[in-house]
Amino acid sequence: MITSDSPILRTSVNVISPLALLVATYLFFAGHNKPGGGFAAGLVIGAVVILRTITGLQRDIQAARILSIGTVIAAGVAVAPIFFGETMLDQAVWQVTAPVLGKIKLGSALVFDLGVTLVVVGMLTAAIEGLGGTHYPVEEEF
Amino acid sequence: MILLLLPILLVSCLFLAASGNRLGRLVFPLAAAPLVVTFIWGCSQLVSTAPSAEERLVWVSGLSLNFIFQLSSLASLMTVLVSGIGICVFMYSFGYFSDDSQGLNTFSATLLLFSTAMLGLVWADSVWTLFIFWELTSITSFLLVGHKNTYKEARLSARRALLITAAGGLCLLAGLLLIADSAGTTRLSEMGTAEFSSTAAVLIMIAAATKSAQFPFHIWLPGAMAAPTPVSAYLHSATMVKAGVVLAALFSPTFAETGTWKTVGLFFGIASMLWGGIGALRQFDAKLILAWGTVSQLGLLFTLLSLGSAKATFAAIAILAAHAVFKAALFMVVGEIDVRTGTRDIRKLAGLASSMPITFGVAAVSAASMAGVPPLLGFAAKEAAIEAVLKLSGTQDLIAGGSIVVGSVITVAYTTRFMLGVFSTPSQEAASDATPVAPQSVGMSVSSSLLGACSVIGFLILPKVSTWVKSAAMQLNPEAEIYKLYRWPGLTTAFLVSAAIVASGLVLGWFAEKKIVAEAKPAGARFADLSVSTILRTAQVITGKMQHGSLPFYIATMAITASVATMPFLFALDVEPIYWSDSWAQTTLAILAIISSLTVAAVRTRLSAAIALGFVGLSITGLFVAHGAPDLALTQLLVETVIVVGFVVGLGKLAHGFPQVGVIWRGVRFLVSALIGFAVTAALVASASAPTGEPPLEAIAEKSQTVGGGNNIVNVILTDMRALDTLGEITVLVVVAIGILALAKPRLPSIEREDAAKENVI
Amino acid sequence: MSFVLVLTTASLTSVGIYLITSRSLSRIILGFSLLSHAVVIGLLAAAGPAGQAPLADETSAASSANPLPQALSLTAIVISFGLTLFLLALARRQQAVTGDDLVEDDLEDRRIRQSSSDYRSEHP
Repeated sequence: MITSDSPILRTSVNVISPLALLVATYLFFAGHNKPGGGFAAGLVIGAVVILRTITGLQRDIQAARILSIGTVIAAGVAVAPIFFGETMLDQAVWQVTAPVLGKIKLGSALVFDLGVTLVVVGMLTAAIEGLGGTHYPVEEEF
Repeated sequence: MILLLLPILLVSCLFLAASGNRLGRLVFPLAAAPLVVTFIWGCSQLVSTAPSAEERLVWVSGLSLNFIFQLSSLASLMTVLVSGIGICVFMYSFGYFSDDSQGLNTFSATLLLFSTAMLGLVWADSVWTLFIFWELTSITSFLLVGHKNTYKEARLSARRALLITAAGGLCLLAGLLLIADSAGTTRLSEMGTAEFSSTAAVLIMIAAATKSAQFPFHIWLPGAMAAPTPVSAYLHSATMVKAGVVLAALFSPTFAETGTWKTVGLFFGIASMLWGGIGALRQFDAKLILAWGTVSQLGLLFTLLSLGSAKATFAAIAILAAHAVFKAALFMVVGEIDVRTGTRDIRKLAGLASSMPITFGVAAVSAASMAGVPPLLGFAAKEAAIEAVLKLSGTQDLIAGGSIVVGSVITVAYTTRFMLGVFSTPSQEAASDATPVAPQSVGMSVSSSLLGACSVIGFLILPKVSTWVKSAAMQLNPEAEIYKLYRWPGLTTAFLVSAAIVASGLVLGWFAEKKIVAEAKPAGARFADLSVSTILRTAQVITGKMQHGSLPFYIATMAITASVATMPFLFALDVEPIYWSDSWAQTTLAILAIISSLTVAAVRTRLSAAIALGFVGLSITGLFVAHGAPDLALTQLLVETVIVVGFVVGLGKLAHGFPQVGVIWRGVRFLVSALIGFAVTAALVASASAPTGEPPLEAIAEKSQTVGGGNNIVNVILTDMRALDTLGEITVLVVVAIGILALAKPRLPSIEREDAAKENVI
Repeated sequence: MSFVLVLTTASLTSVGIYLITSRSLSRIILGFSLLSHAVVIGLLAAAGPAGQAPLADETSAASSANPLPQALSLTAIVISFGLTLFLLALARRQQAVTGDDLVEDDLEDRRIRQSSSDYRSEHP
């Protein structure tokens, strides 16, 4: 496992993590009206996971589980309308007005975006799992 | 009735194929059963004069693609021949094979499938139906020739036969397309006579010539003799090779006014008639003599049909029937000799006349019929042909007529040589040299005798045969009504000519038997094989050159190809829509991106390359911002971060620099890069040169708010308007993630490393 | 069409192809990244002039940049990102197995080349 022992790095990552999650949440909900969206949110969360893994704050990562949940959500939203006699990926929309974000659309599109976010997070987790070499025997330095 | 018979036949094929080895030789009588039904029906149709009703089976209704069948007079004659000889062949096979032969079920099923295909072919009234059954006969012929698939010779011959006949099949398809287009109908019976394109005529004539083994396509037929004798007797003498003749006959009224049709047909016919006869004179294998003789006889049929006169057509049909009967019988005789003596070489065979009397009798009658000696069916047919020749005028026709006479002399000659070589007792050596003979088999004797007798019976019921031939000929040329076959024409010129032909043929044959000692080399077949192997070798060499395993080479090849493919754009450039830059920010960021990308290539360590790549990404992010694409910028920034981190984490351990490469290869890479850069510039500028319309910006913006309910248009497009794309995209991500996880699994790295070390040594 | 963007696309492609024709998997990945940048910039250049961010409530449709190519580019960025990560994992694997990240000649293809020269010597 690639880990860094620097306490400064550890602490800062620890501090940044919740902030980054907040940013991700904002991006996720803002996506429909402002720059942002499911991809961006997923990338931010994924980056946090990567940072935490590198600094050794997080060890138990389960990429496969996150991936499968995300896939099921996205595919479910995509397929669900067929059972209601609609075309695939048809949208159901409810409007909600929330503070800070303004008018947001709560709908199946948001759930679909959630699936996308989870898949992106899952992929990044898989990447750090594969690249970080958690499975490889440690050879040279480190 | 046809739509009833075809399923019966096909189901029988399936049944035979599925029967396994349980039935042994009994598969042959079983296979003959549906043919008996067909034969009886065919005879009843032959006697009745009323044309049968059209039968239709809708295949693809949307394309108006139907199986259409109609039994014409020619078709009923062919039906009787195909099913009748088929019955004899199956009976013969019963004697030819022994009970312990392998694969009899597939053999009989394929043979019956061939009968079905051949019957379908003669019954077809739509060009597409005709084509499908035509191809089916090629395929079944391929399977049957290659029946002894453990022998290399059989496989080669089968491939040669398939290549030539399948090439003919393609010509046929093209010809049929052309003719169906210009005639406005796909029905053979409605084709009519008109001025059709010469191309269609030549294509269809070539198709007929490949199938009927006409010079120079005849080379597959001698090779096809590698097949078991029942196949040779059935496919390669009596029926399949007649498919080409039938095709030529069916289209002869259609192309009656197309000059090329006659010229090409006469070329094929005369060349095959003479060259096939000469070939028959030079062979020592009895079966090959017959095969080359078949080429010659088919050439005679082509010549007669191409002449186009009513009498010639009439004679052609008569010979078609007579030839099917006597040639099948002769093949069966040779097969029987082969089985009972173990050889077919006429230099080794001797004195069979006394040891195989029945076989000799059949051979004598059939050979006499082939030579045109009375009182046999072949005589009456040949007389008709000679009479037709005597009525000819005009240079082209006279050449053809002369060739027919010469061809007939050669026919008599090789027949004589065949009979002398196989059956006579050598004069010098003692009579004890007669080839030893195994006991006879009932199945073989009965069926060959039956066919031999048909030549006699045909002569006895000549008026009947004459009517059948006449109605078939009238279908092709209504003027044939006045002709008939004569038992005894009297001392006419034609009779005198044929007497002279037989006499000179006998002399020539006797000389040939004595003088020809050197075996002919199958030059044509070797040429065909050589062409095929040259093509294969060229393909292999080119593949070896192109696919030599180096990934950089492949990519460079692709890049060069792509660059060359854009070169035509250079002629469509318009610089008017091109302006220098959108803004100063854009120019600055673009320069930054270019410089940092060059840095990526220039630096020699992975870490610095990764950092330079990060700079490229940042510049690109800036370009997005300057372009008005905040979503792209946001995503790019995050992506770039993760990639740089991944690069450092994943490959940072490889501390040493990149490997050095040779100067030449580096130069090639420089050139390829410059080329592709130039090509990209040209392609992009060209894409701007031909705007086809304005982007519907307002419509998209409005739709985003009304349909998608969001203000960020890009995101609405992604999650709403084009959500299916996004679904596909996350599928890619999931697959990638699974791949990464799978790569990370430690599958015994130590063993794999050993393998890799071994591979590197190679 | 902005010629600066055209030039950027062209040079990114050039450098990308130069890197991707290398034997080192690391450089191939670098080249691949540059090529995907080039594609996105190319799309953007072809999309029309720069404008304001395509936000329906803030900018008028006429003054905003064309949003459709941006959506396509976004998909392209994410997919090439995934593939880059996959290539990195491949390189990592290669390094763990052979100790380096070089792309050797394909064994199967080398056999084809061998068989073609065998064929030539058998059938002169």
